[in-house]
Amino acid sequence: MTERPISEPTSAAQATTEGSMTSGGQTSAQRTAARGGAGAGAGPLLEVNDLVKHFDIRGGLLGISKLGAVRAVDGVSFSVNEGETLGLVGESGCGKTTLGKVILRLIPPTAGRVNFEGKSLFDLSSRELKAARRDIQVVFQDPYASLNPRMSVGEIVGEGLYVHGMTNKKEREAAVRDLLKRVGLNQAHIHRYPHEFSGGQRQRIGIARALALRPKFIVCDEPVSALDVSIQSQVLNLLSDLQDEFQLTYLFIAHNLAVVKHLSTRVGVMYLGKLVELSDADELYRSPAHPYTKALLSAIPVPDPTVRRERIVLKGDLPSPANPPSGCRFHTRCPMAQEICKTEEPPLRDVGGGHMSACHFAEEVTPLEIRRPVGVPA
Amino acid sequence: MTVTERHVGPLLEIKGLKTHFFTQDGVVKAVDDVTFQISHGQTLGVVGESGCGKSVTSLSVMRLIDRPGRIVAGEVLLNGEDLLAKRDADMRDVRGDQVSMIFQEPMTSLNPVFTCGDQIAEAVQQHTAVSRREAWDRAIEMMRVVGIADAKRRAGEHPHQLSGGMRQRVMIAMALSTDPDLLIADEPTTALDVTIQAQILEVMRDLRTKNRMAIMLITHDLGVVAEMADEVVVMYAGKVVERADVRTVFGTPHHPYTKGLLLSIPRLDERVERLEVIKGTVPSPLNLPTGCLFKRRCPYRMRVCDTAPPYQEVGPGHFSRCWLTPAGEEPAVGADATGDEAEAAAEQLTVETR
Repeated sequence: MTERPISEPTSAAQATTEGSMTSGGQTSAQRTAARGGAGAGAGPLLEVNDLVKHFDIRGGLLGISKLGAVRAVDGVSFSVNEGETLGLVGESGCGKTTLGKVILRLIPPTAGRVNFEGKSLFDLSSRELKAARRDIQVVFQDPYASLNPRMSVGEIVGEGLYVHGMTNKKEREAAVRDLLKRVGLNQAHIHRYPHEFSGGQRQRIGIARALALRPKFIVCDEPVSALDVSIQSQVLNLLSDLQDEFQLTYLFIAHNLAVVKHLSTRVGVMYLGKLVELSDADELYRSPAHPYTKALLSAIPVPDPTVRRERIVLKGDLPSPANPPSGCRFHTRCPMAQEICKTEEPPLRDVGGGHMSACHFAEEVTPLEIRRPVGVPA
Repeated sequence: MTVTERHVGPLLEIKGLKTHFFTQDGVVKAVDDVTFQISHGQTLGVVGESGCGKSVTSLSVMRLIDRPGRIVAGEVLLNGEDLLAKRDADMRDVRGDQVSMIFQEPMTSLNPVFTCGDQIAEAVQQHTAVSRREAWDRAIEMMRVVGIADAKRRAGEHPHQLSGGMRQRVMIAMALSTDPDLLIADEPTTALDVTIQAQILEVMRDLRTKNRMAIMLITHDLGVVAEMADEVVVMYAGKVVERADVRTVFGTPHHPYTKGLLLSIPRLDERVERLEVIKGTVPSPLNLPTGCLFKRRCPYRMRVCDTAPPYQEVGPGHFSRCWLTPAGEEPAVGADATGDEAEAAAEQLTVETR
């Protein structure tokens, strides 16, 4: 219990909500036990098992016949350990955002399971779900679209507190002020509206909102991609400070591999709805075990004009997720593709030391060649 | 090929350009006394964060500034001819013929109701006396050049049928169909995925060598600049704060803003616990500080920074708008210098970069 409340008001709110939860079915003992065990910092907090999300494509005369499906997430499994940051990278259309939304239960899954603290998120009653949402929060990409322009900062950040039982206005305001301070905003700005803030400050408001209920797990969906570079680093530092302060676990979704690698313990790479590689963040960069990861690494421009790198320019565009290629989905663009890749889908397997890759030829993927001029230290 | 006389000297010279926007809330000096030049075949990277004036600079070159904006001072010389003095009709010939531009968002720059081939052919016919048939053939040829597979079929398709990367290729094909001397690329790959960005940058690199075309590459991505540019201009709040060849800017930057930018980006090849940050935010263009525009965020701030800093040459071909000496030390006038003394020193140190 001790790590959760940061001020009197919050713990008061907690008491209220937990009281109501006990009557609603879930015992507070269960929650406490789970939280107590969490202190050890081991074991998965979140387990994603063979998750599938298809969006039906409908058409026909009445617009109800099913013509096909966009296979946004197509059988993804991974787990996120307590206290770690799992990064998810991939290009647009790879399903990373959809995956995040399914985990948050913002959209229903097609198949598969997601367990949070050992409990299936998809089998919760609405009351249990409301309780679970305290623990799982989200920070969105666009700080302009994700804040209600007609609500003040105090209302935005305090709304979750109110919903979860902190109905006393004074208490709530005190809690909000505390949150604003923690994310580096001026407490005096509590009555201002989103349009009065810059992009970076808005993202801080979004982070304060996510923090309000003292969650354990935060899904960060492209939290810095709309920000300028000088602001981006401020927000990244804030996220890692808050992680230490509140023992948070992050699922960090972004397209920028450098940003993901900076913040993540482990990184998963997605391509067309599949997880193609999952490994320790530094290891992924040092020795990628999937040709797509390698191509992705080689495509990222390095801000150093003296470095000459091997460049793999992938042919063609991303195939449509409504009609993905047979076998390995990457075979149409893969420089290493063989006959087997067209017919047989490679499973995600351990290629050594927990480094997972879904490639038939994972062992043959060589590290990216990087040449520095003589005399320049690596 | 444009039949201009080969002018000796740089292809494009921007001198003391000032583009201001007269808004209800006051005058926004989006571009304030910007000077730089681009030589034939050179790629100049213009970097800076949102609102630094990099896009407005390029739009000023094309004379595409709308009210309430106005170019209030300066010269834009293309092959020695002042574009700002040209009549509107003559300017129309310059656009597309000598200078082409591609934008960040290819979907909004293409007309959704015409086929891609038609749009490229139209540009060709506007600028060269060719038949419809020849223009169409040229369009297909250009689409091949920029790496569009099955160009014949693609030419008959509408923009919505193409992916983002393909659309940007069509934009580039269109921009290059008239063989311009200068291509202005405003964040050409920002909306694209990295693997597609790599393809587009490759196309631009190829074309640059083949056509000896100069490129003004506007971007916020320092990685793209490091890969593409020969020379770099760093802008902040409407002013050029640093300019040098690409290796100098990345290797031994002088201006604290440039240094801060380079340190604040997470890098793939390094592991740091914390990123360096530039504190604070870009000042509001309606409420700029006096003296150095960067002073409120600068870790080296001195009292002398309340006076506008000199634009000094801190190394061969390396310019910086900062009070620090070329070696990065306190200026000779003293860190506490103010008023007339500081102003005189700034004037003395400032170099003419013509």
